[in-house]
Amino acid sequence: MEKFEKGMLKKLANDVMFDLNDQEISELQEELEIYVRQMDLLNRIDTENVEEMVYPFETPTTFIRDDEHEYALNAADALANAPRVAANHIVVPKVVK
Amino acid sequence: MKLNDLGKNVEANVECVLSKAHASQDKLNAVVTFVDCEKQIEEVKKLDQNLPLYGVPVAVKDNISTKGIRTTASSRILDNYVPVFDAHVIAKLKAAGAVVAVKTSMDELGMGGTNLNAYTGKVNNPYDFERISGGSSGGSAALTAAGVVALALGTDTGDSIRKPAAYCGVVGFKPTYGRISRYGVIPYASSLDHVGCFTSCVKDAAVALEVLAGRDDRDMTSSYEPVGHYAEALNSDLKGKRIAVLANVMDSIKDEAILKNFDALCEKLKARGAIVEKVKMNDELLETLLPVYLIIANAEACANHSNLDGVRFGMREEGADLEEIMINSRTKGFSSAVRKRFVLGSWSLFVENQEKLFRKAQKVRRVIVDAYADVLKDYDAVLASAASTTAPKPDESNDEKMSDTYLVAENHMVLGNLSGYPSITVPCGFAEGLPIGVNLTAKAFDEQNLLNIAKAIEEETGLEGKTVEVNA
Amino acid sequence: MNFETIIGIEIHCELKTNTKMFSAGPVRFGAAPNTCTNEIDLGMPGTLPCLNMHAVELAIRACSGAHCTIDPLIKFDRKNYYYSDLPKGFQITQQFHPIGSNGYLTIDTEAGKKKIRINRIHMEEDTAKQFHTANGTMIDFNRAGTPLVEIVSEPDIRSGKEAAAYVEQLRNMLYYLGVSDCKMEEGSMRCDVNISLRPYGYDGYGTKTEIKNLNSLSNVQKAVDEEIQRQSKIYLEGGTVIQETRRFDEASKTTISMRKKEGNVDYKFFPEPNIFPIQLDEAWIKSIQENLNEVPEQRKERYMNQYGLSDYDAVTLTATKELSDFYDEVIKHTNEYKLASNWVTTEMVAYLNKEGISYEENKLQPEHLAAMIDMIIKGEISGKQAKVVFEEMMQGKDPKVVAEAKGMKQMSDPSAILALITAAIEANPQSVTDFKNGKDKAVGFLVGQVMKASKGTANPAMTNKMVQEELKKR
Repeated sequence: MEKFEKGMLKKLANDVMFDLNDQEISELQEELEIYVRQMDLLNRIDTENVEEMVYPFETPTTFIRDDEHEYALNAADALANAPRVAANHIVVPKVVK
Repeated sequence: MKLNDLGKNVEANVECVLSKAHASQDKLNAVVTFVDCEKQIEEVKKLDQNLPLYGVPVAVKDNISTKGIRTTASSRILDNYVPVFDAHVIAKLKAAGAVVAVKTSMDELGMGGTNLNAYTGKVNNPYDFERISGGSSGGSAALTAAGVVALALGTDTGDSIRKPAAYCGVVGFKPTYGRISRYGVIPYASSLDHVGCFTSCVKDAAVALEVLAGRDDRDMTSSYEPVGHYAEALNSDLKGKRIAVLANVMDSIKDEAILKNFDALCEKLKARGAIVEKVKMNDELLETLLPVYLIIANAEACANHSNLDGVRFGMREEGADLEEIMINSRTKGFSSAVRKRFVLGSWSLFVENQEKLFRKAQKVRRVIVDAYADVLKDYDAVLASAASTTAPKPDESNDEKMSDTYLVAENHMVLGNLSGYPSITVPCGFAEGLPIGVNLTAKAFDEQNLLNIAKAIEEETGLEGKTVEVNA
Repeated sequence: MNFETIIGIEIHCELKTNTKMFSAGPVRFGAAPNTCTNEIDLGMPGTLPCLNMHAVELAIRACSGAHCTIDPLIKFDRKNYYYSDLPKGFQITQQFHPIGSNGYLTIDTEAGKKKIRINRIHMEEDTAKQFHTANGTMIDFNRAGTPLVEIVSEPDIRSGKEAAAYVEQLRNMLYYLGVSDCKMEEGSMRCDVNISLRPYGYDGYGTKTEIKNLNSLSNVQKAVDEEIQRQSKIYLEGGTVIQETRRFDEASKTTISMRKKEGNVDYKFFPEPNIFPIQLDEAWIKSIQENLNEVPEQRKERYMNQYGLSDYDAVTLTATKELSDFYDEVIKHTNEYKLASNWVTTEMVAYLNKEGISYEENKLQPEHLAAMIDMIIKGEISGKQAKVVFEEMMQGKDPKVVAEAKGMKQMSDPSAILALITAAIEANPQSVTDFKNGKDKAVGFLVGQVMKASKGTANPAMTNKMVQEELKKR
C-alpha cells in the first residue's frame, strides 16, 4: 500500500495551490487509509476491454456553434468582481522578474 | 406549501416567503442571502398571469448563478462574488414568472452530503433541529420542508437533492443528465452534476421540470429530446407497471422502521396493480459505487475549481507574488474538507496513478451503468429506500466506512448520477417523527413514467403537500 | 568534431474567426483592454465551453494543407496548470485525439526538396495577454480563448536555414488557406524551436533546449544558428547541455536561459467532460477540402504550366498572397499572362512601395490593368503612353477614359501613317540615299519625323515597319 508521507501530501496540496496544516495532514493520512481500501474494491471488477466512460451518454453530438453572434461583457462588468484593477486591466504582482 | 396555494399577487407572495424565511433562519440556518426582490417583482408584473410560475418566490441553491445577486456556493472564496449573468435555469424561472427570493445554504461547492460544511454554518432539519438536513442541497430541502417555499432549486452530483429530500420529507427530483442545462451552475463534477428541484408534491415537480427542461446551446451536453407536458400528463395508474426493488440496498439496511415502511409501500403498489419484484445486482459491483464516484468527482472537482484563484473574482488574499496570492486565497478560501478532497482528486490524475485510479474508475463506471441498464431493461423503475436511516445527528453522520450499509445502502443513489438516469425521492412516512423517503429511478428521458409512479406512491402515503411548522 | 543538429518546431497559430474557440466572445486584435471578453473567457464559475464551428473548419483547412489525416470525431481534453493568464486553471486542448496527424510539408533546401513530417495538428485556446510594469503584471483577457491550432513537426529539421524555410512554408500555407493572419510580430503566429545536437552517426538524441516565442523568420534562423553554436561550444569544451527553456535576445543576438526544466511537468490531462465527442459530417469535411484555396506551390505550378510564366515570375508573384490574388484578378480579364505579370510585379509593386501604399489601400482595379494591357496589344496606345495612363490608373481611373482625355488614341490606321511617312520622305530625300548606302540611322530619323508630325500618336511599331518597307520601295 502506498505511503502518504507528510512531505508528499504537502507537495500534493501545493501542486494545486493551497496549503494543508499539520492537523489537516494527519486527518488526511487517516482518511487516505480508508480511501485506499475503498479504491482497492475497484480491483475486484474485471475491466479488461472496457472503455472508460467519460460522459453519461455517448451518442456523439453534431451541434457546433456558428461563428456569427458575438457576445461580450462591457469592461465594467468584466472587471466588476476583480480584486485589483488598474487602467481596465486586472493586476497581480509582477509575474516575471 | 404547494404551487397552487400561492395566489397571483406577487408582492404578497414574496413578502410572505421572505418573512417566513427570516423567521425560520434562527432554527434552520438555511439561507445564505435574502434577495431584495423589488426589481424582479416589477418585471414579473409585466408578464402574463397564466405563466406556470407566475408570482412564485423560489429558493435557489447558492451554486446557481444569479445576476446581481451574490452567489457563494457556500464557500469563503466566493463570499464576495456577484455574477454578471444568470444561469440558464434562472432565466427559465424568470421567464415563467418566478422570483428568486432566497439563496440557500449548501455543502461548500456541493462537496458533502450533510450540509455541515457550509461557510455560513450547518443547516438544521425542520423536523428536529438537532439533526442534519442532509446535503449538499440542504438549505433548499429544509426551506421546502418547512413550508417556506413551494419550489426550491438544487443540484445533485451524488445524491445531493435526493438524500436531503429523504431526510427532510419532501419530493426531491433530478431528471436525466442533459435534460436541464447546467450553464451558470457552479460545478462540482461536470460528468455527474444535475440540476433539479424540491417541492412538497409530485405534481409541482412535474410543473417545475416543464419550466426548467430543454435544449440550451450554451451547454453542449444538454439534450434535444422534446420536453413533455409532465404535469398535464400525470397519471398514477400503476396497472402493469413493472417495478424492481433493489435487493442489495434493502438487504443491507438494518433500521426496522424503514424496512417495515418500505415493505408496506410495496404491498400497496402491488394492490394498485404494479408488478413489484426483487432484483439483485452484483454485490461487489455495488460496493464500488462510492469509490468510483469519489475518484471521478474529486478529480473533476479539483480541475473545475482551479478557476477559484483570487485573480479575477472572489476573495483574494494578498501575497508577495502570484503563487503566494493563489496559495493564500485558496488555503483560506476553501475549508479543510474541500482541500483534502482536491488533494485526492489531483492525486488520482497524476500520470503514474491515472490508469489505476481515474481511468479504472471510469471503466468500472461503465460496468456499473451497463449492469444498471440491464436491470431497467425489464422494468419501468427501480425502487429502494433513499437512505438507510432517518436524518442523523451531526456526530452520527459518518463520512467514511467500509460496511455494506454504508457502501451500498447509503450510496446507491449515485447510480442515478453515474448513469445519468432520472431519479426522484418521494416522502413515504415517518419513524419517531422523522421523515422516511423512497427513491425511484427510471430509464433515460423517461421522466413522465417516473413522475407517474411517484404520483401513485404519493397517493398511497397521503403526504402530498406535507410540510412542518418550524416556528411553533 | 562536427555535430548533427536535430530540430523540431511547434507553431501556435491564431485562427481567423469572429468569435472565440469556446465562447461567443469577439476576437479582435488591438481592442481596448477587457472589452472582448465574456463570463466564459474570464473563467467565471458555472460557465461551459461551446465549440466554434468555423474554428473547426479552419483547423481542417490547416490539416489539409499539411497533408494530415483528419479525425472526424472531435474530442477535447483538459491540460491543468495554474497561471495568471489562464482563467480556468486549465486549457482545453486535444491531447489524446488531435484533429490532424501524420502530415508533412515540403521545403526547398540547397540540396533540393525535403519533406518535413508533421506529427500532429490540434485545436486549443489561447491565454490572456500580460503586460509587465513596475507596479505589477496587468492582464488583458481579450485574447483569452482565441482559437489556436498547434502544429508540431517531427525532428526532421537540421539547420537554421531549414527551420526558417519550414516556418515560412507553413506560414504561407496557413495564410493562403485563410487559416490565420500569421502575423508573427503581432503574435498571431508563434514559434517554439527544440534543438539538440548529436555526433554524426549516433542514433540517440542529445539534451534539447527549447527557444520560445520567436517572432520573425529571420530570428528563427538567427536563434537556431546561435543555439547550435552555443551547444557545440559546450560539447567541445567537454561540458553538458542543460535541458531548459531559452529565449532569443534581439539586442545581443544570443539565446538566454529563461528557466530550467525539472523533469516533465505533469499536466494531469483528462478528457473534457463538458464537451461530448462531436461527430463531423464527412461530406462537410469533403466540401471544405474541395473548396480550399490553392497553396503557393499550386499557384506556382498553374502560373508556369498553364500560363507559361518563368519560374522567376511565378516565384515573384506568389511571394505574397495579396500580389498573387491581384494577378489572378487581372488575368480574369486578359490572356496576356506574361505582360500582366510584368506590370503587376514591376510597375505596380514599385508604385506601391514608392508611395507606401498597402494592398488594401491599392486603388488600381485589376480589370483596368487588364484593359490597358489589351490597349497596348491592340496598338491603341504606345508603351510610353501606357506609363502615363498607369500613373492615372493608380488613382483608380479607367485607362480608356484617361487615354481619351489626354488625346492619346494611338494612330494605328495604316493609310494615315503612310501619308505621314510619304510626306517625311519627300521632305528629306537624302534619307533614301542614306538608307541605300546601308545607313540604318535613316529609318530612325524618319520614324522620328513621323512621330513628331503625329504628335507622338503614331503606332511606333507600325511606323517603324512601314518606314522600312517604303524605303525599300524607293
